[in-house]
Amino acid sequence: MAEPGNDTLVEHWKDEPAPLLPLLHAFHERDGYLSEEALRAVSRGLRIPIADLFGTVTFYHHFSRDAAGLDRPRVCNGPVCSMRGAEVLLASLRAAGHDPMTMPCPGRCDEPVPVIHRGTVLTGRTAGTLVSGPSPLPPVPPDGVEECVFAGIRAPGRPTLAGYRSQGGYEALEQAVTGMTPAEVVDVIDASGLAGRGGAGFPTGRKWRAVADAPGEPKTIVCNADEGEPGCFKDRVLMDHDPHGTIEGMALAAYATGAVRGFIYLRYEYPETCDILEGAIAAAAAAGLLGDGILGTDFRFDLMVRRGAGAYICGEETSLLNSLEGGHPFPRNRPPFPVTHGYENLPTVVNNVETLASAPPILVHGAEWYRGLGRADHAGTKVISLSGDIARPGNYEVPIGLPLRELLHGWAGGPPGGRAVQAVTMAGLSGGFLAGADLDVTLDEPSIRSKGSFLGAGGIMVFDDSRDMIRVTRESMEFFAEESCGKCFPCRIGTQRLVERLEGQGPRAVDAWVDEVVDLNEVMKKTSACGLGQAAPLLTESLIRYFPDRVRAHVEKG
Amino acid sequence: MSNPLADMDKPDVIFCIGTNMTECHPVAATRLKRALARGAKMIVADPRRIGLAEIADVHLPLRVGSDVSLLLAMAHVIAREGLMDQAFIDARTTQGEDFMEHVAQYTPEWAAEICECDPADIEKAALLYGGADRGAIYYTVGITEHICGVDNVQSLCNLALMTGNLGREGTGVNPMRGQNNIQGAGDAGALPNNYPGFQAVTVPAHQEKFHEAYGRKVDLATGMTKVTALDLCGDGIHAMIINGENTLVTDPDRHHCEHALKSLDCLVVIDIFMTDTAKVADVVFPATAWAETDGVCTNTERRVQRLRAAVPPPGEAKPDWWIVSRLAQRMGWKGFEFESAKEVFNELCSLSPLYAGLDWDRIDRGEYQWPVPTRDHPGTPRLHEEGFENGRGIFKMLEYRDPEETLSDEYPMWLTTGRRLPQYHTRTQTGRSGGIDYLLSEETLEVHPDDIARLGLVDGGWAELSNPRGCLHVKVRATAKSPKGTVFASFAFEDVPVNVLTGGGYDPVTQTAALKACPVALKPVGPPLALGQVGVGARGF
Amino acid sequence: MKRNGTPSTNGKGVQLTMTLDGEKVAFTRGETVYEVAERHQKEIPTLCYDPRLEPFGGCRLCIVELEGARNPVASCTMKAEPGMRVRTRTAALEVQRRILMEMVASENRDTDVDPMHGYASQEMAELLDRYDARTGRFEGALSGESRPDDDNPFIKRDYENCISCYRCVRVCAEQEGDYAISVMNRGFHTQITTEFGGLLKDSACTFCGQCIQTCPTGALGDLKALANKDVPGETETTRTICPYCGVGCTVDVMTRGEKIVGVLPAMDGPANEGALCVKGQFAFDFVGHPDRLATPFIREEKSGQLRPASWDEALDFAAGKLRKVVKDHGRRAIYGIASGRAPHEAAYMMQRFIRAGLGTNHIDNCSRA
Ligand SMILES: Cc1cc2nc3c(=O)[nH]c(=O)nc-3n(C[C@H](O)[C@H](O)[C@H](O)COP(=O)(O)O)c2cc1C
Ligand code: SF4
Ligand code: SF4
Ligand code: SF4
Ligand code: FES
Ligand code: FES
Repeated sequence: MAEPGNDTLVEHWKDEPAPLLPLLHAFHERDGYLSEEALRAVSRGLRIPIADLFGTVTFYHHFSRDAAGLDRPRVCNGPVCSMRGAEVLLASLRAAGHDPMTMPCPGRCDEPVPVIHRGTVLTGRTAGTLVSGPSPLPPVPPDGVEECVFAGIRAPGRPTLAGYRSQGGYEALEQAVTGMTPAEVVDVIDASGLAGRGGAGFPTGRKWRAVADAPGEPKTIVCNADEGEPGCFKDRVLMDHDPHGTIEGMALAAYATGAVRGFIYLRYEYPETCDILEGAIAAAAAAGLLGDGILGTDFRFDLMVRRGAGAYICGEETSLLNSLEGGHPFPRNRPPFPVTHGYENLPTVVNNVETLASAPPILVHGAEWYRGLGRADHAGTKVISLSGDIARPGNYEVPIGLPLRELLHGWAGGPPGGRAVQAVTMAGLSGGFLAGADLDVTLDEPSIRSKGSFLGAGGIMVFDDSRDMIRVTRESMEFFAEESCGKCFPCRIGTQRLVERLEGQGPRAVDAWVDEVVDLNEVMKKTSACGLGQAAPLLTESLIRYFPDRVRAHVEKG
Repeated sequence: MSNPLADMDKPDVIFCIGTNMTECHPVAATRLKRALARGAKMIVADPRRIGLAEIADVHLPLRVGSDVSLLLAMAHVIAREGLMDQAFIDARTTQGEDFMEHVAQYTPEWAAEICECDPADIEKAALLYGGADRGAIYYTVGITEHICGVDNVQSLCNLALMTGNLGREGTGVNPMRGQNNIQGAGDAGALPNNYPGFQAVTVPAHQEKFHEAYGRKVDLATGMTKVTALDLCGDGIHAMIINGENTLVTDPDRHHCEHALKSLDCLVVIDIFMTDTAKVADVVFPATAWAETDGVCTNTERRVQRLRAAVPPPGEAKPDWWIVSRLAQRMGWKGFEFESAKEVFNELCSLSPLYAGLDWDRIDRGEYQWPVPTRDHPGTPRLHEEGFENGRGIFKMLEYRDPEETLSDEYPMWLTTGRRLPQYHTRTQTGRSGGIDYLLSEETLEVHPDDIARLGLVDGGWAELSNPRGCLHVKVRATAKSPKGTVFASFAFEDVPVNVLTGGGYDPVTQTAALKACPVALKPVGPPLALGQVGVGARGF
Repeated sequence: MKRNGTPSTNGKGVQLTMTLDGEKVAFTRGETVYEVAERHQKEIPTLCYDPRLEPFGGCRLCIVELEGARNPVASCTMKAEPGMRVRTRTAALEVQRRILMEMVASENRDTDVDPMHGYASQEMAELLDRYDARTGRFEGALSGESRPDDDNPFIKRDYENCISCYRCVRVCAEQEGDYAISVMNRGFHTQITTEFGGLLKDSACTFCGQCIQTCPTGALGDLKALANKDVPGETETTRTICPYCGVGCTVDVMTRGEKIVGVLPAMDGPANEGALCVKGQFAFDFVGHPDRLATPFIREEKSGQLRPASWDEALDFAAGKLRKVVKDHGRRAIYGIASGRAPHEAAYMMQRFIRAGLGTNHIDNCSRA
């Protein structure tokens, strides 16, 4: 088949919703890079000023501007993979004649080391042993633990529409559209205590109600599947093995809020997931579960997948919206919030995959059931992505309130080789470290916040007592510096200065060093414009708190 | 302009015709761009794919000089679709009914034959403008520099009248004036038919007033226009005083003009440089320049603003008013004993009803837009808000006329002329300002790539451009900005004096020259002619 | 545009108020906290703010404490709401602002630049002084790559002094509508760029100079003004109107002694509100050009050549010739053409000459060409 010409591609996309990213991907995949000619065609077709388009393209890690750039294998150099031989893999790829480049954590920390090559994720330790395959299913939980989003995920055939329906899939949607008012749906979600699972933990019922009440049409549901946080890989597993769960959750959100269109903003690093979702959407649409006249009612909801291109900040909801709209992906100033001024400045729900996937079981089993899944006073469950120095890495759906040590040692077998846990990260990297006595904490937001950290999206990376915490912190801070969008001064400059200080630059006296780092931490936490800059200093803050001697040695060694 | 510049970011629909605003009035164009960013729609009618066309919703690449046909067809569509503002028509205009009948015959298909635009685009443009709540029209010399310049403007007024797009925020029919004080020269009475303040010389009350003020009887007849005067040089006109105009280079017909000026008994030129025109004068007076002169100017939105001197003039240069008043004294006339610009301006205010509420001190901060009839009047940012000066707006039954010169086998291409952003006029100022030539150092003829291929031209090579009036050599630049069959050049560079070619006719009413449409022949040539070798053809077609 | 409105009511006739540093103040719906504070002379520091542009929220210097909020909020992007309680200057805020300024200083090669760079070029330096922030702390890599390869004669692109406030990019887009420049890369590696990183002249840039005038650090500089930076004398400014097109932009002409050294746009110019184009901004030096006429000239009868003359001689010469024309051909034989580029007084005097002197209406101006 002849390759489609520039005009054909532009014509195909230009009147579609949110056309920029898919159009750029089409050119990227056709040519293996984004040529000047391609960008000029896009600029004309979508009427985006060429300088803006050029700048925006350079923002994304995975868009190549050099010929054949797409052919370069991308190797994870995230905190887990760098402990597991990313350097060795890079060297062996070079030896095999490739020109590899690094990438931040692509969400495969349970199977280090991942490589993305031309739309396929491979894993392995050397060039010769790379294999592709589905993402691992979550380990089976200990007896007696009831799950919500993972309850049906291990059943064979679950990713197919038939398999999903055979386990009661889409019953929640049917129940809602045929037997409940939108407000009743919101009430159930509200009563369940479900809160955002993407990091910020905002009560989901309140968000849906705000969108339902907000003036302005059409409304939009955005599923945040950007999962860019290092150490988080839960959304991938949910979408790979239970795509209809997320789709049904989005349809419920749409019904509850009056939205008619939806986007799944999927991170670039999940190419196979994209195919799975698109297949599932097509199947659901063919079965009258999406599109016009859903389940014979006049409820209408159109759903599309849009792929990101490699930018952690695009997981931040307002940056995500700018990215969808084809703008420069800086976060927006809030207020106003997306619930009133979201996609195209209209009311928009932005929810994480896990949040949305929780909605169907909650609707089927009831709010009380969900609340009861948590321990003590805590409502519900949370998926934890566990990786690093741990015997059985993977995704665990834990009752909220489970003691951290019970998860680490009871469920996941503790660090291998009989080593001790030196520290863990929280919220992927964004929560900084917990160590020492603070490891005796329960997995719920209030407890973890009381330690100066937060649970967030639920990524936990484990570092045993052999690890150099300065190095871990430096590599982690490099991630934030690399991913800082550059909008606000404290984060743009602060992440860089913290990296430099972790590299051994800056004052040579401990007091002065700590002074500077503490000032940077404070200002970043207090004045950064978004969660990235506010969270990054938790790393250095917890480093100084838990490992003062290591810090002293680092500074004085010179 | 009927409306203030500040209104330019307020329309829903913008209709730009014959204005290359991004190059000629860039700062005004920024306001239009802001309106677009806010969601306004824009129609651009221009033969060339100018900067505005690139950002327009509809571009109508009409054939040069065919504006009236296009505008009639737009009126036709608006009438047919019932998009008129009937309340406005009833309350504030006359002959509306006749007009709707008149335009019934002028379909977009009819116009398309003449203006060479797609009838569907004409339709689309008409629906946009006709459907606007606030529709604003902007035009420049692309509309007026035709033999039918007045008809063009009237056609635009017809559109605005039928849709009620006058006298409100974000509407209007807005000419953009090309020079910093071209409006002010008219305000001050430098017109053959008007005293200061546009008071017609033919009205007895006005004659009375100036007789008294000047202590001398003035002719009751309208004076002749500059065009006529140049035609009559040596034959009725025997002396000229020209202030700050490089007439030889800007006149639409250079050879004719040169001949005219040389046949005078006395030519007095007042200028800041030894221009080509000054070089043929009998006396040249050195004037102070911008930033050396205290004075007043009026911008395109009728805003009266102060010019201030910042540096002393070179040598013995003097302000224009000083020179002319001293010359008057030497002529032996009384009443010219002015000692400052302030005195001169205050006399103007005392004689112009538009300025009656102003004086030198009151305009210090530039907040007044005329008319300012009284001391307590706040100025008039928007004209026609309450009504029209002469009662009702009158629809004009216009018909399309072909340009004086049309294409022939011998002269098969249209030459159209204009300005370019970095250079101003004949470069007397910009050409002497450091760095401007970096942006534009030579003139090029813009030719569509297909024409280049068809005529055997080379992008970057030389071409000969000719018609019976003259011929010149110019470097060729391939660009799809020019439509097929039309070429463009500016009159900025003296080595490409496009006015040896232009000059085919004037608007019969305003005597504005038809600089925008001129048939020419185009062919490749070798190396350029040296300056001074520029050919002269036989005059007339 | 700055929305310095007068206080408004909530539609029910109740005036909207908030508390600013303990004082109850009125505001207009839509006003930001910064704008309200500005009206009350709070002097909140800013670096990414230009009153003509949409607030951006990048520099974070304008932070204020808002009761009920966990962190300080950027006052430039925060809309005022009834009942808000805001503190604009607390010890904590001042410490944070100082640290921010120390950080800003640490990323630039120079923290002091010649004021000839542009209208806003001293903003950063003034804040560094105000916060006593030239401490040398947070030393590290400099950000931004300068573009000495850009040979344009107007705009210095010295990005080693850039602090990524994006005012240039925003003014180019929002104010100028040219979209010639944008932000490339991200984080510490952000860089102001044209399309594909080329020269300004190969981009959509119109050389309006707006980016120069809004740059708070002198990373962008007015090369024409900078060429005059060693001209002796204090810089003075004179307000006048641009000599080119009919828009009538207000400018402030900078002079030293008897020389024009540059032009600044007038932010409060009624027609332009701070905007200019390449001509108004840069094409000013024809004024002092050596080609300027400095004496009258008359044409010698014998040689037929123009030669310099005194005013007396030239005026008499001209008057003599004109009188002769009147004598030979009558007063209707003289015609006057006034200029559309000279002030009113010139045109007025010319028509007065023709009308009051000769009693005819043989006067026109150059608008017909
Ligand atoms: C730097 C940053 C990155 C983020 N990345 C993600 C992400 O990858 N996925 C996600 O769901 N939320 C992410 N968030 C949180 C979102 O902004 C938003 O709160 C969330 O999508 C809301 O959905 P929820 O309420 O269902 O959690 C991120 C936030 C920040 C500040
Ligand atoms: S905190 Fe960092 S990522 Fe967030 S807006 Fe500021 S620079 Fe961008
Ligand atoms: S000079 Fe004007 S057009 Fe050019 S980059 Fe600066 S603001 Fe934009
Ligand atoms: S060049 Fe100047 S205006 Fe532009 S981002 Fe840098 S510091 Fe700001
Ligand atoms: S996959 Fe490498 S760190 Fe997550
Ligand atoms: S001025 Fe408010 S963030 Fe810069």
